[in-house]
Amino acid sequence: MTVISILGFILIIIGLWGMLTQKNIIKMIIGFSIIDTGLHLVIVSIGFIKGRTAPIISKAVEGLDTGKNFIDPVPSALVLTAIVIGLAITALMLVYAVKLFRFKRSLQIEDFEELKW
Amino acid sequence: MNSVTLILIGNAILSLFLITIWGLTLNGMVMKIVARVHGRFGPPVWQPFLDIIKNNAKRTMIAHGTMFFLGPVFRIASGIGTYLFIPAIFGSTVFSNFSFSGDVFLVMYFIFFGQLGMALGAGESGHPYSPIGVSRGLAQMTAFEVPFSLAVISLAVQYNTLSITEIVAAQQGSILNWTIFTNPLAAIAALIALLGMNMHNPFSIVIAPQEIPIGPPTEYHSAYLGMLQTNRAIFNIAKLVLYMNLFFGGATNFITLILKTFLIYIFTSVAVGVAFPRFRTEQSIRFFLKYPALIGLLAIIIVSIK
Amino acid sequence: MVNPIYIFITSLGAAFLLNLFQKINRKIADLIFFLTLAVINYISLFWFYQLLQGYEAAKIYTAGFLPPYSINLYLGIEEAVFLVLINLLGFFSAVYLYKKFREISIKAMILYLVLIMGLNGLVMTRDLFNLFVFLEITSITTYALISLEDNKYSLTAGFKFIIAGGLVSTLFLIGTIYLYRLGGSLNLDFLVNSGVLNTKAGILATFLLVFALLIELKPFPANGWALDVYQSVHPGIAAIIASASSAAIFFVIYKFIPLMPSSFLPLLAGIGGVTFVFSNLMGLKQTDARRLLGYSSIAQMGLLLAALALIMQFDNLQSLSSIIVIIGGLFINHFLAKAGLFWLAGIVQKRNIRSWKIIANNPPLLLVFGGFILALIGLPPFPGFWAKWELVMQLSANNMMVWVWIILAGSLLEAVYLFRWFGYAVKNTEVEEIRTEAAQYLPVLIFLLGLLYLGMEGTHLVSGADSIYVLPVLLGVILYVLNWLPNKLKGSLCLLAVIYFSYRLLPALQDIYQLFGVVFLIGSAVLLITTFARKDIFKGFYPLLIIMILSLGNLLQAKTSLQFFLSWEFITITSYLLILRGKFSLKAALIYITFSLAGAYLILAGMGLAFRDTGVVSLAGLASIVNSGYIYVLLGLGFLIKIGIVGFHVWLPGAYTEAEDDFTPFLSAVLSKMGIFGLIMLAILLGEPVLKGIQLNYILGWLGVLTAFFGALLAAFQEDIKKLLAYSSLGQLGYIVLALAIHSHLGWVTSIYLTFTHLLFKGILFVAVAGLLSRVKTRKMYEMGGLINNMPLTFISVLIAIIALSGVPPLSGFGGKWLLYSSLLEKGWYLQAGLAFFASTIAFLYCYRILHSVFLGQPKTALRDVKEPSVWYIVPQYLFLFGIMAISMYPNLILKPVMSAVSTYFASSIYWEDYTVISSLGYWNGNAVMMVTMGVFMIPLLWLLFRIKAVTKVKQFNIVYAAERPDRPETTHYAHNFFAHYQKALGFLARPKVTEFWGNIAEVIHSVGALFRQLYTGNGQTYAIHILIFLLISYFILGVK
Repeated sequence: MTVISILGFILIIIGLWGMLTQKNIIKMIIGFSIIDTGLHLVIVSIGFIKGRTAPIISKAVEGLDTGKNFIDPVPSALVLTAIVIGLAITALMLVYAVKLFRFKRSLQIEDFEELKW
Repeated sequence: MNSVTLILIGNAILSLFLITIWGLTLNGMVMKIVARVHGRFGPPVWQPFLDIIKNNAKRTMIAHGTMFFLGPVFRIASGIGTYLFIPAIFGSTVFSNFSFSGDVFLVMYFIFFGQLGMALGAGESGHPYSPIGVSRGLAQMTAFEVPFSLAVISLAVQYNTLSITEIVAAQQGSILNWTIFTNPLAAIAALIALLGMNMHNPFSIVIAPQEIPIGPPTEYHSAYLGMLQTNRAIFNIAKLVLYMNLFFGGATNFITLILKTFLIYIFTSVAVGVAFPRFRTEQSIRFFLKYPALIGLLAIIIVSIK
Repeated sequence: MVNPIYIFITSLGAAFLLNLFQKINRKIADLIFFLTLAVINYISLFWFYQLLQGYEAAKIYTAGFLPPYSINLYLGIEEAVFLVLINLLGFFSAVYLYKKFREISIKAMILYLVLIMGLNGLVMTRDLFNLFVFLEITSITTYALISLEDNKYSLTAGFKFIIAGGLVSTLFLIGTIYLYRLGGSLNLDFLVNSGVLNTKAGILATFLLVFALLIELKPFPANGWALDVYQSVHPGIAAIIASASSAAIFFVIYKFIPLMPSSFLPLLAGIGGVTFVFSNLMGLKQTDARRLLGYSSIAQMGLLLAALALIMQFDNLQSLSSIIVIIGGLFINHFLAKAGLFWLAGIVQKRNIRSWKIIANNPPLLLVFGGFILALIGLPPFPGFWAKWELVMQLSANNMMVWVWIILAGSLLEAVYLFRWFGYAVKNTEVEEIRTEAAQYLPVLIFLLGLLYLGMEGTHLVSGADSIYVLPVLLGVILYVLNWLPNKLKGSLCLLAVIYFSYRLLPALQDIYQLFGVVFLIGSAVLLITTFARKDIFKGFYPLLIIMILSLGNLLQAKTSLQFFLSWEFITITSYLLILRGKFSLKAALIYITFSLAGAYLILAGMGLAFRDTGVVSLAGLASIVNSGYIYVLLGLGFLIKIGIVGFHVWLPGAYTEAEDDFTPFLSAVLSKMGIFGLIMLAILLGEPVLKGIQLNYILGWLGVLTAFFGALLAAFQEDIKKLLAYSSLGQLGYIVLALAIHSHLGWVTSIYLTFTHLLFKGILFVAVAGLLSRVKTRKMYEMGGLINNMPLTFISVLIAIIALSGVPPLSGFGGKWLLYSSLLEKGWYLQAGLAFFASTIAFLYCYRILHSVFLGQPKTALRDVKEPSVWYIVPQYLFLFGIMAISMYPNLILKPVMSAVSTYFASSIYWEDYTVISSLGYWNGNAVMMVTMGVFMIPLLWLLFRIKAVTKVKQFNIVYAAERPDRPETTHYAHNFFAHYQKALGFLARPKVTEFWGNIAEVIHSVGALFRQLYTGNGQTYAIHILIFLLISYFILGVK
């Protein structure tokens, strides 16, 4: 485990704590965002190989053996997708937050418990 | 109809005739005895004969409907039938009646035939006292049939047969062979049941004099009543003959029959009937379902262990 | 060949284009939308067809690389099945949603297309990260679709959904990335072979991944958010989530099974089982239709998951066909039925299940609703039935009896709330009409037809089935189509069908089976005449009746336990539906079906045990089982519940009483005998089994005699004439069971003789009561009286029937009593004989009560002009009456065939001398008794007739009455509380202890359900915590360290 992935997990746990304890919907969304960020760090850290460079083919790496000088490109590719998806979800959550606020003039999660049992 | 059947019918008519006479006489005698116990003079012994003749000779009758009309017919048919399905005298062809038709269960169930029919007739009369009496009678009947049926089952186990003739045959030889001595519990249970069957005190709730004037037959009069009175004699004697056969060694001649039935009847109607007040219906039900039923059960258990 | 990749290309392309076209013309956009769905349907169907023909599966590699360097898709036959279903649902749901789509904006259509595409992707992809992407695509589109329905509830539900979904995707992603790190690939097939599972970290990563998928299947208790979603979103979307999304996720889990360590399977099965039982338990208390569907949906997915995980654990993997039947059957069943029900919920527009009664105004909708409900419960002829059957068989064969019980218990709970709901729907008291549109209507109908078709196909797939046994359903459908015909014609068609069927069936049956054939078919044929008296137009009566009657016949010719059980279930369902037709039968019908199904499930479990022990489903195979005690108990208890043995009799009075008057005769005279037949069949096959040293027949005998006793006692206290007869019926069945338990020649002769006579006199009595109630609008006997003059014909037949019932000579009933006591004494069951005698004397109480209270006594003023019932009530009575008189006069007419039939199994212990039957103890000459009785009856009758001139007929109140002149029949007719004194003496025995007991059980179960559903607090955050706790618990159960 690298320092970065440990950091990532710490972020995930902080985010989770936020999501599960904060009653304010916006704060919950922030919690989710922090989870997401931590997750992305973990993904990136998985592909990291010490002493290698980013898997971007450009002038700087021309002529080098990409297989030996690049870090694992797959996690990097994955994290890009994950960030996009995370963004989309966060955006949707915020949309929900706005719409919910319009109905109740409240952002407290306990105020939305009509459906139960 | 062949000659065998004709002889059978002839014998049955003779047997029935004799037993009717004795039944009516017995009723008269008992009325007299009960009166003397009460300290009254009482009617003459032949009073039942007079009543029947008088009632049948009445000029007018009333009908409340078909079932009302048929009620007494059911009743007396059942009385006669019950008697005719019992072999009255052991070894006698004349008095063996139609006992080839069925065994003791047939007799037990045929008793119900008249009860049901009479109850229906009484029901159609529209008089509330009739169904009240019927309801009491039926309820009490279910209760006293319990010790009786248990006793009969005990007998069936004891003698390994349901045939009345064979049960009587098994009791021949000595007085100690009588069921009352070989299976006293069954006999006791059945005799207590007989008290209920005869509807004397303390089980007189069905016709309950002074309470519901004469119960089911309230609306019956003239020829109907005559028929019911005739039946009372025949049916009574039929039951006594059945008891005599089952528990008291049966009879080998008419004299023994007269003697034994007389004694059984005296026990039930005079010894007990005169001495007790009346039970209410639920009391009488509870009574029969307690000790007599228990005695009956014991009788079965003891017999089946042997 | 169309490359499946076009599914993605077309739907994505169309999604982009839609917005553009909408600017030009909305109509064109709509057209493109549907065209796109049609195209992807075409592609998946095309592939399905190709693969069925044996073509090779499609493997698609993106960007020209081979895996693991490329994302690859795979389309085999399994994938094709799921694609076809998902896309079909996608299309029909779109049709259904069309109006809604028009209302919102084109965006909904775009989202919808992308959602369907995502589901396709989930099914086909073999790449983990790609899977994640498709998972997110479906999730995000779903969230967005939910938010389009702009109401408070769907928004809160959607938000809870997002929180849960966010957690799930996090877990999934962590699992994915670690699997990639450990296994060096994202490709499923590579990972399986990579040895990643040899490491603990690998197992943990797999666990996270599988757990994330599991949460998407909404397992108990981490599923509060899902219920809210089901409850609040538009039913069209709910249908997609419940059926299509669940299907896709389920398939993904299926794909993951090779990757899972074997220790995962029990956990999955456990989670599935718990979800199935608890969801159904909590569903009991639910009154919101859509949330109820949510519970049911979650439960069904739990069952599916459990079944999958269990099958994968079998030591000897069974034939492919049985896996297809189980998984395919359960899956398709749920898929079609649940989607259909959600759609229906949208059409009906009523939230509370009690308000669904408006559906009764629309028979086709009601029919569809009933079909889906039956399918969901797993009743024939729908695929779920075959699946549950096969599942139970295979579980038993693999010695997983605990699972059989779990599944059956869950199914029973589900049946209770679904049937309760259906009951509310049938009972129409509203005038409100349902607004239906073809677009909404059509998909529902098509899905039901699909279910029916697939269900019928099941007969070919399951071993031991035969399409003959579903033929009655076909006949029922035909009759339903012919509904426009006049009633009498339909009835005659039914009658003809039954007669033809008897003509074909009866000669083919042997001994006892043939005798029961006569009871079932000829009895039904006679009773059918009664239904000719119906006047109003009524739908569904004859179709259900014909299915029931023919299935009764099929029961007799069943060669395999499946055929038997199938027919048994058909009878159960149809009789339930027929009972439900009664005006106030809601509660009674529910109790009836609950007990019947519980009994049926016991039978099913017993058959499973038998299958385990013999390995075959043939009924004859039962005979070879050595240790058959348990099987006997299970099957026997199932049959006894159907009979209504004491302790399980609580359904009987209500069902008999509240059923339509002309259907009750079927229940009592015919249907009650199917349990008797089952018991006899069981005894033929298994003999007299012993369980743990206890002679089971001894217990059966006591149960029988106690039933007889309590039946009679309770009957004596009833004021309601149908209830009285119902209890009486119960008591009579007690004697039949008692005689059966004796297990001797004489005992069985008695039992079958009683079966016949019971058919005759109960047939008469219930038909007579039906006729009576067609004239008199009350069931309370004390409100009648003196009807002998109004309906003499009915009175005569009732009188004869009552005499036969009571067992008084000379009629046939005495034969039954005599045989009973003889056989009991022969067996040595003296105490039972005593109690039976007591019971039969108590029977006199109610026998007299009917005759007196209804026909004798004082006629009521209001009923003075009542007429004899219609001839259609009289004819069947007199047909039966003729039967009674014939066998009373000549008992050998019936006794001889019965004796010879029984002598196939026992040496005869009775013999004949002319007309006299002689047993080892006594004798009986029915003919002589009849002659003597007639003789002694005629003599006094003649005397009275001789005096008839003296007789004057008097008026109603002309009686000897003390003190006052009676003028009101109400105060003069002694009929109410007729046996008050008996109640005082023995009433303590008649207290409804058993009813209270079952009531308490139901109460407790409902309370437990209510307790557990408190988990669902409604707080989105709590639901997230549930997921985490659930994660930890699963993790610890699994024991991954």
